[in-house]
Amino acid sequence: MFHPANTIRSLLQTDLVTAPTREALNSRLNAPPRQPTFFSADEFALLQAVCDRLVPQEGREPSQRIDIASGIDLRLSENKSNGWRYDDMPPDGEAYRLGLRGFDESAQAWFGQPFRNLSPEQQDEVLAAVQALEAPGSTWDILPADHFFEELLAEAVENYYSHPLAQEEIGYVGMADAPGWQRIGLNNLEDREKKANSPT
Amino acid sequence: MTTTHDIVDAVVIGTGAGGAPLLARLARAGLRVVALEAGRHWNPKLDFATDERAQDKLFWNDERLSAGQDALAFGNNNSGTGVGGSTLHYTAYTPRAQPDDLRIRTEFGVGEDWPIEFDDLASYYEEVEQFLGVSGPSPYPWGPARNRGYALGPLPVNGAGQLMERGCRTLGIRTSPAANAALSAGYYQEGVGHRPGCTNRGFCQAGCTVGAKASMDVTYIPLALHYGAEVRPECFVTQLVRNASGRISEVVYIRNGQEERQRCHNVFLCAGAIETPRLLLLNGIGNSSGQVGRNLMAHTALQLWGEFDEDIRPYKGIPGAIISEDTHRPTNADFVGGYLLQSIGVMPLTYLSQMARGRGLWGPALKQAASAYNHVAGINILGDCLPYEHNYLELSDETDSRGLPKPRIFFSNGESEERMTAHADQLMRQIWDAAGACNVWTFPRNAHIIGTCRMGNNPDTAVVNADGRSFDIPNLYISDNSTFPSALSVNPALTIMSLALRTADKFLTSQRGTA
Repeated sequence: MFHPANTIRSLLQTDLVTAPTREALNSRLNAPPRQPTFFSADEFALLQAVCDRLVPQEGREPSQRIDIASGIDLRLSENKSNGWRYDDMPPDGEAYRLGLRGFDESAQAWFGQPFRNLSPEQQDEVLAAVQALEAPGSTWDILPADHFFEELLAEAVENYYSHPLAQEEIGYVGMADAPGWQRIGLNNLEDREKKANSPT
Repeated sequence: MTTTHDIVDAVVIGTGAGGAPLLARLARAGLRVVALEAGRHWNPKLDFATDERAQDKLFWNDERLSAGQDALAFGNNNSGTGVGGSTLHYTAYTPRAQPDDLRIRTEFGVGEDWPIEFDDLASYYEEVEQFLGVSGPSPYPWGPARNRGYALGPLPVNGAGQLMERGCRTLGIRTSPAANAALSAGYYQEGVGHRPGCTNRGFCQAGCTVGAKASMDVTYIPLALHYGAEVRPECFVTQLVRNASGRISEVVYIRNGQEERQRCHNVFLCAGAIETPRLLLLNGIGNSSGQVGRNLMAHTALQLWGEFDEDIRPYKGIPGAIISEDTHRPTNADFVGGYLLQSIGVMPLTYLSQMARGRGLWGPALKQAASAYNHVAGINILGDCLPYEHNYLELSDETDSRGLPKPRIFFSNGESEERMTAHADQLMRQIWDAAGACNVWTFPRNAHIIGTCRMGNNPDTAVVNADGRSFDIPNLYISDNSTFPSALSVNPALTIMSLALRTADKFLTSQRGTA
């Protein structure tokens, strides 16, 4: 298959990438769509809506969208942990279920609608309020909103930026390290790093 | 259940910086030694990807409960699993402690002195540095003069390092290439073989694929195997069984879901500052002092990030290229001890995940900040931390997949740590301003868990003596960061390894006395 030069997809086909690295990244690129196995269909749709606001993908074609929510669902299905959790939080699965309920509860309290029915601006208002510990709803009395939001955001970000297409978006080519790096100083780039990504 | 009727001289629990050097030392002396390691024995070339997600497998991901004002992160911070332990993902920064690091109470009237002197460690520092092939400047600008220079010259400096040099030069702060346990050239050691030089891959914290970084699996473990040690991976220790005389006669562990037992004359507990006290508390042993799990410390480790006009590509080169110890005892300090400064490169997921937690950015603001990744460089500190009554580990009521209680860890910085962090925050901002940074932000954190089974001379206040031997159980030794009486103002790995060799030598000497 043809891929534009200097994209991760084209790099992955070269020997600039080691076999284990290629395998890890290809498995994400080519992951088949999956149905949620931890969340209910409603919960999952809500989680997807939340992730769309946290990590927007508006410019991406539908076929290239990175399925952040599925990664979360898969982890919780497998009962995997990242090694720790805040002591004031319930176990991860319970925290997610509660937190999703909380988003809907806050949306109802302010706008009389479930979260998914809100406009993007309203959704952002709810999310910002949860993050700032200012969201209405009894759920947030039992679930520390700031810690929940931090965990959700960190996991969404990690799921998104571990995907090759997201790495391409920020101009990251560190996976193409099979030959090692000779030019490592400031403004000192290898040929495969040509596509500079400027912050401005 | 499998029972081996063989009685080995020693069982070593854990194969990280505390276990592996000791294992090799005991094996070299002709002892029959078995190491039990909870994680797998990886083949880095085949098993390690240049991908942070895929390398999650190097972390101790059994859930721990983090309490306190400054709850500690575990998993990819502060823990490891696999033959080699946390050294599989350490940055390989290997500065020596300075002599006054071991005398905090004498100098400041708080905290704790070590029951040993710097001179007790110096020859071991040198031995470990030469064996691992530490790359660094000779002479090293800080600390006492040395008998020998580093085994190899310093590693090349990456963008973050150049920026730290630039900023510090403007402010009159001395810098130096750091000492790193990663080879700047090929290196040969008898019993280990040839290891190639570093390829500047920058993924040290996700596992080295070339063998240049001196993780234990490519250094002391091969040496131990060379001398006849046995390493059993994927063995999770659950019980230390004592006989009528109070000595540990058997170690019980789970392998492939089955319970197995290994009889032994001695046990060396080297599971790190969380799992070591956890195992003692689970078994209700070795704790007549009541100090098991207490005195938990974690380095102040504030990180400061900034964006630069220059193309940095923070995934290249040894992440910690440049160091300064000019802040070891700052003249204007209003805190106990001191800290060091290090430049830091960073892998993308680590950076972006920290950004999510530290800045709370989402939506377009997140995407905007993430797009600057190639222009990001950081500096951080590692500084001393006092032991406090309020910082400790306990067993919770919640159980893990094995049915064992999860550990709960309480941690809150005290006034000294907060003042040190504020001092460092101000200084690092000046350095990054001078280097030309914009959009500077800081990520508060504490790193390296230390001190949960303190060593000392008094059995009422310490868990082990200066030789690492339990006050309660004569054939139980502890060798890892849990025995440190103070946190030190440097990364702990080199000191853990050096202390491990000393503990092994003290043990061997005591055995000769009784043989």
